[in-house]
Amino acid sequence: MEVTTAREGAHLIVGVDGRVDGVSAPEFQAAIEGAIQPSDQAVIVDMGGVQFIASAGLRVLLVVGRLLQKQNAKLVACSLSERLREVFTISGFSSIVPLYDSRADALQALND
Amino acid sequence: MSNGLALTLETRPEELERLTAAIETLAEQDNWPAALTFKVNLVLEELVLNVINYAYDESGHQLDVKLTCNEEDLVIEITDEGKPFDPLHDAPDPDMDSPMEERRIGGLGVYLVRTMTSDMQYRREDGKNHMTVAMSRDE
Repeated sequence: MEVTTAREGAHLIVGVDGRVDGVSAPEFQAAIEGAIQPSDQAVIVDMGGVQFIASAGLRVLLVVGRLLQKQNAKLVACSLSERLREVFTISGFSSIVPLYDSRADALQALND
Repeated sequence: MSNGLALTLETRPEELERLTAAIETLAEQDNWPAALTFKVNLVLEELVLNVINYAYDESGHQLDVKLTCNEEDLVIEITDEGKPFDPLHDAPDPDMDSPMEERRIGGLGVYLVRTMTSDMQYRREDGKNHMTVAMSRDE
């Protein structure tokens, strides 16, 4: 798994590549938590390069989502493959993490 | 067409990488559709990680993973000598509706496995947990 971060205004964009599973989940969590600034209004997790996610990866999103709530910031995800989207839907995560087709769509929705 | 694998893993998360590599090789040899490979990976990750995280109080134990497949079905059996744990009855119900601040993550892995398989059975035999799941090769 590889994690890269970028900023777009008050939004942190986290790009993830590879597998988000029980092995990589601690690193995934540390990378996002380490990049969040108190002034961030949203974190966009771009999962375009993620081939696989398991419950250990979903757990990280829940922990990060709660952390962001405390600073009144949002967590959204974008660019999920069909299979990833299915996991988010089955697990009920799509009701707590809004999903967008692309980074641009996510940014537009957040800036509206 | 008939194929399979048998692996003994140590109870530490890094062993999942060895398992994933073995699955990728088998999937390639046996021409699995990508959706099936994803499902098998997810089911194995959740079940094996459960054993690694909860079956023993300390590391340094082992578990066995056996996968057999024919033209229609694929069957996975995971065996460990850890504490008795029946995921079908002992795992918490998944929480799919609560808002972010109240959402509980427990039970989600087992729930995902349940949705991805056509049959799921547990038995405790000879001091071992035997978890067997089956799924169709189609879709």
